[in-house]
Amino acid sequence: MEFPAALFPSYFGAGPPREEGSPAPVAGWGEHGQVLEGVPGRRQVQPAFVPRRGATGERWEAADAAAVPVLLPSAGCWIPSAKPQDILYRSSLCRNLRAGKSGATLDFAKQLGHFFVDHPEDAFGSMGRLLHKNFYLGNSKLKRPARNSTIRMTALMEDIDRLEARRGCPRQHLASRLRWFSHLCRDWLFEVPLGLLADCLHEELMQQWSNLLFDDSLTGGALAWLPPEDGGTPVGCLVHPGGQAMNHLYFQDVVLEELPRTRGSPAQFELSGRIQQVAAARVDGQDFVGVRSDYHCGVWRVPGKRGAAPTPLQVIRTDVPASCLTVSPHLPGELSVCTQSGTVYLWSVETGLQQLRHDPQTMFFRDHSPWRWSDFTGHPRVLSCADRTGLQCLDARAPKKCHFDLFKVGEEAGCQQGERVVLPMYLGRAHPSQYLVTTQFSMYVLDERLPLVPVLKWAHMMKAPPLFAHLMPGKPGRSHKVLLGASRTQELLLLQYWGKRSRGTQLACQLVGTPQKLHSIAGCLQHLPTQLPHRHHLLQQRLAAPAAGLTATLQEDGSHKSMLIFQLSEAGDVFCQRLTHNTAQCPATPLRDEEPCANPQPSPAVPSPAAAVRYRRWLRAFSRACREPPRHTWPPSLSQRRLFTRRDLEGPAGPSSLQKQMRQQLRQTMEEGGRIQHREPLALQPPPLPQTLEPAGDPDPLSARLTAAWAGDWEQWWEERTSFSVAQRQRALRERRRRQKRAQGRRSLSASFTSSLTYQSELSELSDTGPPLRSPSRPPILSQESSPPAGSPPVHSSATSAVPDEALLSSQNLRCHGIPKERRKTLRDYLSVWAEGPPEPPEPPGSQASQLCIPSSQSQLSSSQPRRKRPRMGF
Amino acid sequence: SSSEHKLNFKKSKEACLSYIQDALLQKQWKRAAEFLTCYVESLEKDYSREHIGPSEMIWRIGTEILWHHSQSNMKEFNCFMEQMKTLGVKRYLKVCLEHVFHLLCNGQIDEAYQNLSLAESWRFGEQTAIQDKEMKLIQAYRGLLDYYSWSKQKNILLEHSEDGFSDLAVEQEMHGYFRKAAVNLKEIIKIPGVWDIFVKCYVDLLEFYGDHNEARQVLNEYAYNSKFPANPNAHVYLYQFLKRQGESKKSLISALKVEKRKKRQLGLEVIFAALDYAGWKENAKAWSCLAKQVKQIVISEKHLDWIKQEWNSRKDWWPAFHFSRYLAKRNWQENKSLSYEKALVAGILLGKGCKYFKYVSHQGCKAQLKRFRMLKKFVSRHNPVYLRISG
Repeated sequence: MEFPAALFPSYFGAGPPREEGSPAPVAGWGEHGQVLEGVPGRRQVQPAFVPRRGATGERWEAADAAAVPVLLPSAGCWIPSAKPQDILYRSSLCRNLRAGKSGATLDFAKQLGHFFVDHPEDAFGSMGRLLHKNFYLGNSKLKRPARNSTIRMTALMEDIDRLEARRGCPRQHLASRLRWFSHLCRDWLFEVPLGLLADCLHEELMQQWSNLLFDDSLTGGALAWLPPEDGGTPVGCLVHPGGQAMNHLYFQDVVLEELPRTRGSPAQFELSGRIQQVAAARVDGQDFVGVRSDYHCGVWRVPGKRGAAPTPLQVIRTDVPASCLTVSPHLPGELSVCTQSGTVYLWSVETGLQQLRHDPQTMFFRDHSPWRWSDFTGHPRVLSCADRTGLQCLDARAPKKCHFDLFKVGEEAGCQQGERVVLPMYLGRAHPSQYLVTTQFSMYVLDERLPLVPVLKWAHMMKAPPLFAHLMPGKPGRSHKVLLGASRTQELLLLQYWGKRSRGTQLACQLVGTPQKLHSIAGCLQHLPTQLPHRHHLLQQRLAAPAAGLTATLQEDGSHKSMLIFQLSEAGDVFCQRLTHNTAQCPATPLRDEEPCANPQPSPAVPSPAAAVRYRRWLRAFSRACREPPRHTWPPSLSQRRLFTRRDLEGPAGPSSLQKQMRQQLRQTMEEGGRIQHREPLALQPPPLPQTLEPAGDPDPLSARLTAAWAGDWEQWWEERTSFSVAQRQRALRERRRRQKRAQGRRSLSASFTSSLTYQSELSELSDTGPPLRSPSRPPILSQESSPPAGSPPVHSSATSAVPDEALLSSQNLRCHGIPKERRKTLRDYLSVWAEGPPEPPEPPGSQASQLCIPSSQSQLSSSQPRRKRPRMGF
Repeated sequence: SSSEHKLNFKKSKEACLSYIQDALLQKQWKRAAEFLTCYVESLEKDYSREHIGPSEMIWRIGTEILWHHSQSNMKEFNCFMEQMKTLGVKRYLKVCLEHVFHLLCNGQIDEAYQNLSLAESWRFGEQTAIQDKEMKLIQAYRGLLDYYSWSKQKNILLEHSEDGFSDLAVEQEMHGYFRKAAVNLKEIIKIPGVWDIFVKCYVDLLEFYGDHNEARQVLNEYAYNSKFPANPNAHVYLYQFLKRQGESKKSLISALKVEKRKKRQLGLEVIFAALDYAGWKENAKAWSCLAKQVKQIVISEKHLDWIKQEWNSRKDWWPAFHFSRYLAKRNWQENKSLSYEKALVAGILLGKGCKYFKYVSHQGCKAQLKRFRMLKKFVSRHNPVYLRISG
């Protein structure tokens, strides 16, 4: 490969950059940079000059109105990553983001608060357990004896709420109670010393914030295209991550048609970490795919023939997160790996790892970033290694001795202050000695043979640093295409450059054509069918997810040339767009009457029918995948406490005493969380106990139980009953049988319950080896009268098992209670709601009954599901 | 309130700019032009202390639009540029330079020259470092254009002298161009940088007037001054100059910055090193050169250690890089003579069991090519060499 006969003129300085640095929104326009005589040796006529930038390039036009999904969204909803709003102090958000300064205020207190709420066990586990009796969270005043040893926390909570409302108020120090409390217990309340915890949290917050500003873990992108073999069928393979944690690697065959179409199901591998980067290179007709996650790197081999399964070759584990993985385009099974500790390895599948460099410091000046990158060069044994300050090439055979500087952030390349290397890439497929380096401001093309001086430089004007790049080499005489992609803003930029040969001499590199912005994933939102607002919001969030990868392929079908560009988002979506080559010749200088040529066709305004079908299908799958997950972990809880004010509950001025009585009873029941069974007015006093039919004799257990239940001390009865020894029980059984014989014909209460007979016999035949008796405690009760007295231990009142419910809700049982058939189902449903979460007992002081709820069984769940949603749906 | 107004103004300015940017990136020149006419208002309140102020933005955007807009022409472009030159003092030279570049690329050499002369005479206060550099470039480009005029006159004069008469006026004019060009070109090439065309032109002038010492000094300086970047062209120019001067091969090679060693060993080393690079991988000339040298050494059985020395640092990766079975197949299909040369080298270096050699010689014999049968015999005969090299 010849070196250009003459290069564009440029100054060469050394040292730190002199030009002040700031992102300039239009810095890339309107400049030719330099000129050079285009075709030297034609002195007879006038010399012809070519510009470094601004010559006419190829014209590529978008074939569709927006990017089109290639894959259906995977099942399971994507969880969006943190946003600035999540960790920044509210009032400073807008101001600081606009100014672009790093002086943003992190909302440290809120995050610490979140930690305390989300992980109370870790935060105050032991102290909390020791002290929970002494903290009271109720509303009522504390009584005298309790006040000595108990603090009422409600007031403190209210103070905190007030403090929240007064954010930014200059008089916010007026919270003496809080101050007093925090002084009192700051030193001993926390499980982890507060200072230490705060340090850790702050560190994490800073990390999160810097990730939000610029997340370099995605550098290189996690999308690769394995093109079909020359002349083969147009079926390539898309390698992309997926799954909710992005830890599944897919090799998906894709047929290149007007809209690329997937073929068959993908080969799938589950990895043990989030996939950050997928790199691929073709050597000797086989594709080698390198996959990087934070602590693991792996390499796969994909045989040239499509349809052959990819084989995993090797995996390495790193102690420090890896920041780079590139695959050698020269030798099969060779890769280069960098870790954040500043180590660069040459990794060969056959011979293992060879450490080339270990230097935690950056190369040319001090920069805090641990990011390192490495790639191959035109010489298979020479690797480049990069950090934020520049690039060096080193010989793997003698890495310590043989190296040279390829690129330096400094005056050498005419950099700006604050400029940093974002992504280096070997452009070997276009030219074996060329290199691409992008920074947050510019893109550079370098030639290994002329180190430090970029052969091309252009301010790319992208809003976010280009983390992804893809090269599509052009055939001789045609331009090479470079795609630059940013993550956060999803920007995609198409550039063209060439180093032409003309009349036997090699010309210097020129940037040709105008840079072109391509469709982003988010841009297709306006072409999707109209959605309900909340759906629209979900969709918007999903489509605007940061980009995570970029790849592209050129397709030549006779004279028809097109370019397919795939973009991956962090949500795992892969979208693609097609550009077609417009071959209409255009004069170098636009003239007045060349209207149709000089004005390129605008891209279509509406998506093609085929694209519209794709959108609809994608949307359908998206809404299926993102439907609200069934929330089966907690039972419903209704709070009646705030339904009525105290005044409402005071005696109403009702017309009749009966109504008054009824209302009173209703309110009372609701207050206590009980239920009303009778439709007829009831006396407030429980009905007198029915006369026992057999006052003198030992009643049968059911009668005894019911009698006990009626009287309200059923629990005690149960305990007595379970504590019976078997021998006693047997004796009792014999005794009872004897009595039964004697008292033949006498009606017992039990006789009216046909079902209870079987129950009875089961109970009586109980042996030691049988299933352990459930402690049924108190089954959900139908009448309000039998609610336990206030103050009974809450544990008993809350634990509910399914069995007694079912017994209770059996048709027989309901019939017995005189409930008409058609209403039984309603009642059953109603009760099942309650069965899951028992009524709140009338608040014993210091107990939080709602916390003690336990998950209910599945059967109840299904029956009560539609009912439970209602409160959410209604509002 | 004025601060709010200022804020709103700033906001709408930014919005307008982003619309323009969007239109430019989508090649919607007309739309961009319409927005730009609105953006011009921002000049009225240019309080910005930003890196690139509105006037520079208008210059850049306007230029870009006029390059591509279907209804623009050179006259309008020149007019716009003149306006832009007066818009910002600090940028005057830069805008001039860009204007000149555009004229040059459109073949308007004379207009470009006029513009350069005008710009050269421009003075405004004390020059900043950047302006100084720009001024030097303006002078250099004027020198370059003077050189082209000189060259043109020279050609006329040469044609005339062939016809047998001399034209004193043309000659005078030519010398005038020489002086003007030489002064400006000499200036810029003193400053560290990449000045390929300027150096070439200056050396051409010097050579024509017989100032070979100066030319040699300039070229030496350009090639060896450590303040200059390591430009391969600098060495090429020096080499070509020395060659023109009929220098000895020794100094020629030293011009190419390689240390002296025995000629043949050096050749072997160079060719091995060249074939290390991916760019030379399928260079048939290089392979035939290597094959020839290897063959000579093997036949003479002298200096086998040279091959061994070169091969030692390559034996772990050349087989996969150059001599894989896949490459054997491809080379055979695409370029039979390349595969022949490579097979010869592979057979010597890796023995007759090597995949590349086996495949190619087999295919060659199958195709009944005599050359390949000879190759097979040659390699079999010299198989012990392989053992000595690899041992």
